[in-house]
This record gives sequence, C-alpha cells and structure tokens, in this order.
Amino acid sequence: MTPLSMRGDNLRFQLLSLALLVLLAGSYNASAADTPRIATVDWTIAETLLALGVTPVGVAQTDAYREWVGAPPLPDEVVDIGLRAQPNRELLAQLAPDRILLSPMFSTLAPSLGRIAPTDTVALYTPGSDLWTRLKSATREIAAIADHEAEADTLLAWLDAHLALLRQTLDTQDVSDRPLLVVQFIDDRHVRVFGEHSLYNAVMQRLGLENAWRGTTNYWGFATVGLKALAQYENARLVIVKPMPVGVEQDLETSVLWQHVPAVRSDDVLTLPPVWSFGGAPSAMRFAEHLSQALIDASATPPTHETPDA
Amino acid sequence: MRDWISHSLPFPHIIMTPARLCTLLALLCLVLSGFSLATQLPVTQWAQALFAPNNTNIDQILVHYSWLPRWTIALLAGGALGIAGVLMQQVLRNPLAAPTTLGVATGAQLALLLATLFAPSLLLLGREWVAVAGGGLAMGLVFALAWRSRLAPMVVVLAGLVVNLYLGAVSTTLILFHQEELRGLMVWGAGSLSQNSWDGVLYLLPRLAIALVLAGLMLRPLAILELDDVNARSLGVSLKHLRLVSLGLAVFITACVVSVIGIIGFIGLAAPAIVRLLGARTLPQRLLWAPLLGALLLTTTDQLLQRFSGALPTMIPTGATTAALGAPLLLWLIPRLKLGGERPNTAPMLTAPRRRTPGRLLMVLGLALLGALAASLLLGQNSNGWAWPSWAVWHATYEWRLPRTLAAAGAGTLLALAGTLIQRVTSNPMASPEVVGISGGTAIGLIGVVLFVPGVGLPMLLLAGTLSALATLGILLLINRRSGFQPERVLLTGIAITALFDPLRSIVLANGDPRTQQLLAWMSGSTYYVDTSLAIVVAASAVVLTLALQCLSRWLDLLPMGNSSARALGVNVDRARLALLGVVALLTAAATLVVGPLSFVGLLAPHMARLLGASRARAHLLAAALLGALLMVLADWLGRQWLFPQEIPAGLMSSLLGGAYFMWSLRKL
Repeated sequence: MTPLSMRGDNLRFQLLSLALLVLLAGSYNASAADTPRIATVDWTIAETLLALGVTPVGVAQTDAYREWVGAPPLPDEVVDIGLRAQPNRELLAQLAPDRILLSPMFSTLAPSLGRIAPTDTVALYTPGSDLWTRLKSATREIAAIADHEAEADTLLAWLDAHLALLRQTLDTQDVSDRPLLVVQFIDDRHVRVFGEHSLYNAVMQRLGLENAWRGTTNYWGFATVGLKALAQYENARLVIVKPMPVGVEQDLETSVLWQHVPAVRSDDVLTLPPVWSFGGAPSAMRFAEHLSQALIDASATPPTHETPDA
Repeated sequence: MRDWISHSLPFPHIIMTPARLCTLLALLCLVLSGFSLATQLPVTQWAQALFAPNNTNIDQILVHYSWLPRWTIALLAGGALGIAGVLMQQVLRNPLAAPTTLGVATGAQLALLLATLFAPSLLLLGREWVAVAGGGLAMGLVFALAWRSRLAPMVVVLAGLVVNLYLGAVSTTLILFHQEELRGLMVWGAGSLSQNSWDGVLYLLPRLAIALVLAGLMLRPLAILELDDVNARSLGVSLKHLRLVSLGLAVFITACVVSVIGIIGFIGLAAPAIVRLLGARTLPQRLLWAPLLGALLLTTTDQLLQRFSGALPTMIPTGATTAALGAPLLLWLIPRLKLGGERPNTAPMLTAPRRRTPGRLLMVLGLALLGALAASLLLGQNSNGWAWPSWAVWHATYEWRLPRTLAAAGAGTLLALAGTLIQRVTSNPMASPEVVGISGGTAIGLIGVVLFVPGVGLPMLLLAGTLSALATLGILLLINRRSGFQPERVLLTGIAITALFDPLRSIVLANGDPRTQQLLAWMSGSTYYVDTSLAIVVAASAVVLTLALQCLSRWLDLLPMGNSSARALGVNVDRARLALLGVVALLTAAATLVVGPLSFVGLLAPHMARLLGASRARAHLLAAALLGALLMVLADWLGRQWLFPQEIPAGLMSSLLGGAYFMWSLRKL
C-alpha cells in the first residue's frame, strides 16, 4: 500500500459522492412542481427529505439542525417553526403545509397538529426491530409521503452499493480487524458508547467492522458510562465522534485514567467529524465515509506499538 | 456518653446512638468496598494497587486512579456536606436547612450553563471557579434579600428557596433551548462521583481542611445561637456577622463539593437531622457525628450503586440516588422528629397594612385580568412580524390562543387558591403547593407513564396524573395522621416527596434520552398540550372553586391564630386541617396536570395579595385568585412572544417574572 493508492481512494469517494449529488439534484428539479409542501419537527426526517431532494417548508430548531446534523445543508428559505417538542402552531398554520411529519417521540403532538395538515408519524427507532430494516422502510415511507419514491429507491440502492464498496475497500486496504468502541463525549468523565440498535452499529455491521461494546444499550442504542468502562477493553480501537464539549480535550490530557485506556496508550484513537447519531440514510452514509476514511488513514500510519506485519 | 442518649426515642428497645449507627455503616461500607475490590483485583495486589500501582496492569490502574479516588471523594464530599448542613441548621435554627436551600447548588449550575453557552473560555480557567462564583453570587443575592431583617433565619430560608426556584427556572429555560450542548452538565447536575484521577480529591482536601479549622474556631460563638436573639445579643455577640461568617463558610464548602462532583442531594439535610434524632444534642456532638455519618452514607450508597447498577444501560448518578434513597428515610423520620418548641421562634410573619376596603383592590385586579386576557387573545406575531387583531386571524385566535389563555388563567387561579389555603393553614409564608409535594407526586406518576408506556395519549396521562396525586395525598395523610396534621410536619412530608421527584428528573436528564424534550417542556409548565375542552373545564372549575372556597373563610381566618385559639372558638382543628389539605391536594393536582409541577404562582399570588393589603381570608382568597390568573396569563402570553417562534413555557415565564418581583418585595420585608 502506497500513499498514491490512498489518494486514489479518496478521489473515488469524492467522485461517487458528486455523482449522487448530481443525480439527486436532477430529480429535485424534475419533480419540484408537484412535491407536497412538508413541515417536520424531526431532524432525521428533515435530513432524509433533503437527501431525497425535497426541501421542507418548515423544520424545528433550524439553527440547532445546522449545528448538530449539518449535512445535507438546510436551505435558508426553510422556516424555523420553533422547538422540536413544541412547534409553533400559529406559525405552522400560517405556513399551511400539505403534510406534517413527526417521529414517535413527538407523537403526542399529532392530534393538535392534525388540525393544521394531515400528520403522519414515521418511526425509525422501534424497540425489537432491526434498525437497518426500519431505516429503509422509514425512508420509503417518507418518500411515499413526499411523492419521491423513485428517489428513495435510488438513495437506498446507492447507500447499499456505497457501503459495499467501502467494505471492499476496507478489505483490500489491510485495515486492522480489531473491534471498535464508538463513543461521544459528554464531559471529561463520561461518554455515550454506541452499541446494538444504534445507527453507528448498523453501519459498522454493513462495513464488516466489529463493535467492541457488548453491553446493554437503551432505546436509542447507546449507554452512558464513565471512562472506566472503556479502560477494560484491552484490544479495542477507540472511535470518537465529535463535537467534543468545551475543555474536555484539555482535561483528558491530564487525566491519568484516560492516558491508560488501552487504545489511548497505544495511540489508537480515531476522531470523526460530527455526524447526527440518531440520523437516517444520509447520516449513515456520512458516518460510513468518515469511519472508512479514518480507518484507512490510520492504517497508513500504524500505531506506534504495532509491528508492521505486511 | 450515655447521658445524651435520648430517653425520648420512640422505640426504646433499640438503643441507637450516632456512634453505633456510624459503626454499623462503616462495617457495611468496608464489606462492600472489600467485595468491590475483590472483584477487580486479587487480594495480593491490593496494597500495590492502592499505594504504587504497576503502570502496565490496567486493573491496578483502574483501582488506583478511578476506584480509590471515587471512594475517597465520596467520603470527603459526604463529610463536607454534613458539616455544611450542621452549620446552616445551627445558624438558621431550622432543622430543614440544607446546603441546597440557599440556592448555592443551582447558582453554581447556572453559572456553568452560562459559561458553557456564552463564554466557554472561562471554563478553561477552571470549571470549579465558575461554579464557586455562581454559588457565591446566589448566596450574595440571598443575603442581600435578607439583609434588612438582619439575616433573620426565616427570611434567609425564604429568600434561599425563592432564589433556588428562580435560578432553577433560568437553568431549565437554557436547557430547554440548548439540550444538545448542555448534556454534560446534566450528568454533572445529577451528581456523578465517577473520577479518573486524583485531581478532584486534591482540590477538595485542602479547602475542606481550612473550612473544618474555621468551623472549629467558631464553635463557642455558634453555640450561643441556640439562645434567642435578645439573649444572644446581650452576651455581646454580633449576630449579623456571626451568621454571615458561618453561613458563608457553609456555602463555601457546598460550592467546593458542587463544583467537583455536582449536586448531591439530601446528605446535608439528612446527616445532621439523623444524628440529632439519635441524641447528638450539642453543637460539638453534631459537628463530630454529622460529617462522619454524611461521609459513610454517601460512600455506602455509592458502593451499593456501583455493585448493582453495572448491568443497566442507564447511568444512575450517585447524587440523584442519595436523594431518592433519602426521601423514604426522611418520610420515616418525620413522625419521629421533634420540631418546634425546641428552639425559640423569632420568625416574623409576613405583615402588611390591612386595607379597610378590599373591594377597590379586587376591582383593579379584575380589570387588569380582563386587559391581560384581551391582550393574550388578540395580540401576537406571525412570520411577518406583529399582527394586529383582525378577522383574518380570528381562526388562529379561537383555535390556538383561546385554550391556552383559558388554561393559563384557570391553572393560575387553582394554584393561587391552593397556595392561599396552605399558607393560612400552616401560618407559614414558605408554604406552597410545590412544597407540599403534590406537584412532585403527580409529576413522578406522569414521568413514569411517559417513559414506560410508549405513545401514550392525553386521557391516559390525565388518569395517571390524577392517580398519583391521590396516592401522594394518601401518603401525606398516612404519615401525618398521628401528629394531628401539624403544619410543619405536613410541609416536611411534602419536601420529602418532592425530594423523590428531583432524582427521578435528574436521572432522566442525565441519560440524555431524546424524549426528555417533551418531559422538560411539560415540567416547566407549558400550556401547549391543552385542548379547548380541557381548557374550559379548568377555567370553569377555577371560577366555581374560587366562589365555593368562600365558605371556608371562617376556618381560614381562625386557624392562623393558633390551635388553642381556634379550638376555643369552636373549630375542630384536625378535621378542618384535613379538609383544607384535601382541597389543596385536588387543586394542585388539577393545576399540575395542565401546566406542570412548576407552581411558583402558588407561592407568589397569595404573597402579593397579602402585600397589597388583602389580609382577611375572604379578600385574600379572591385577590390571590385574580393575581394567580393575571400572572399566568401574562406569563403565557410573554412566553409565546418573547423568543418567537420558540415558546417559553408559562410556568417558567411566571417564575422568571414573579420571582423577580417577589425578590424585590422580599428585600423590604
């Protein structure tokens, strides 16, 4: 493996992403006229709509969406309809959308929002079901409501193909097969660690990567644990999904326990840019890309304690 | 030592002393700690791991840099809170004073929230300094409010409670709008003891040592505080300075603990109360045993928690757990706790000039309410800015504004009535429906339903809320039956029940379940989920109950005169109290279901009514009802307009507005 082949892979990612954008932009222009005007309080639904080429008329907490979900970008003309749990109904009524979409978390809003426009609840996180299956059916449900079913097929086919391609790339790239611990920092002593039933875990399965976290997780696929829990994983690589809370990076530098987490000691920590941890297809794709890229970059510069065996 | 083992203990067959309890707890704690260590390391490695860990053995590192600092900091923090509690209870002559009642914890939390959001660079200087500054400012505010009354104990507690509520409301508002950014502070706020170095211990240790020395130096003057004000002053003690210094010391200790491990509820309240109950009567005795008991309570709880919570995906913070475990203990203690009569009572009642003609006051208030109702219904914003009343927005007015306005007015009235009743029954200006615990009890039931029954609808929520309100009422009655519903005990029971609600909320918040948004909104008192039929029911019952309660005004006039006077005038005191408390419970439950448990109005409206001169029961009830409605309607309207299109819940707004006014009037007390 040479630096040159690495660059080639980077380029391939980018070309493929570009192709997707063109594809979606095309479909967006074609069907913009008869697309229903949709408002949603849920960011996962909002990102899915945007990925399908549908711009929602109203989304809750647009500033926070830009900060926490980020991509696909929310156009400026999308109206901020207030808090996710309490969208402003007077404003919604004035916007007069054709459809309103909720997630089960906000389903108590359904009766009152139903008086403004037909309101549907799309469930992504459902106890006892396979997240990946739910993600696909939820994407199709949203697409059906937005009258963009063809785009959903394209998006999901693309997602599968892209993940398969990334998996292939990872296989050929001599990426270490050690299990991964995917965490997000809460403060300098606590993390959310993502396990079964989380979006990150579902993506890792598709990429053929092993999740080191075998502990129980909540409804949303994560567990809140102290740093101590991480120290017990001798053989795991650590994947940190940003953003990091203010001051945590500095605090960790002086934290003895952190320095002794096996992955940190062997300098085997990957840091990924922010990806919405409760997201849908677009977030899955972004997580897959960031993670693969980080893994490939890391295998180019192997951790200090590892002996190059190839 | 046998001498001060109380002969007044309710169960003479078990002679428990502070020393014996501490020994028992210490044994339990050692056994638990031993088990915990044994699961982590073979016994042969213990000494090495504790004193000089082998840097290549991860188990030893975990024990040395995580388990041991956690164990140590639990002891330190528990002890520190015990000292702080003793100092505060001594200074305020109030067995219910606790490090958290002066607003220090909420002040520290608010400072950290603000720094995280608006000046993150301050955090790089040190989180603990930000927290200490916030806690200190909150304390300063409490002292400023109570300055005029020469820091009289009752006024200090009242001011502390109000500042607590006020800062808590500001924190909740910030959390509501910045949930993702602030999730770290939720964990901290719930009191997690988890450590990953010795930094926390090294920070706490010297500060506590200094505080302990200072407390020791003040032992003699502090003991004089057991006398009443006049006697103490005649001994040449400057009460103002003594109280200021000792309260300041207690607050400093609390702020240090809070800044390192967050809000640890209950220990500061319980440890001093328990040792006093077990016979530690004098100040030196209490200063010796309360910190020991506090340290052992916190460490034992933490060990138990580490042992049993490992398998759960939810993190259960220790601070929240001590509060949850402490509440039942407190409920058990209440019938056994000696209250009142033990210390001289110098607390001033709220007094204000009585108006000869409350009619004019009532008319002015009524007109103001009508104006507020009109403004709330007709004035609003849309995407083009402010919109004046027109037929075009009639639909929006009817459909969206009317239910909320009616519900706000109704709930405000109900809370104001409940507050008036409870303040008159208990002759205690600190009392409010929230303090009696019915709001908290209702909220516990509702949170449980929202978390464990997915996709639950409003009727089910209503049912669950009503049932838990009745259950709370049942507990209140059961525990207080034996004491003949003594006002202080009823309040104490209420505080204990509310103390059960807090940890539950903290655990929910700390685990960052995304559903917390909805819970948060409801807990901060939003009229958002009210529909028209419910709103009409609430408003109508508010009117009916206001008029119906006029029949009870004789009781309400006589009860504050004291038990014997009331009895002499022909009132069956127990039955009257029971009936009035039942009414309070129902009023509170109804209001809580509509606007959540944040019932600041229930404290505020009766106060304002009294400050405006409505002192007879009949006028007091009417004026408070009008004020309650006025306050809630204004709060609801402002909350909808201020940050449009985002909405600030009415309960929060009323706390923000009412709290500010209340603090201003308190200053003149």
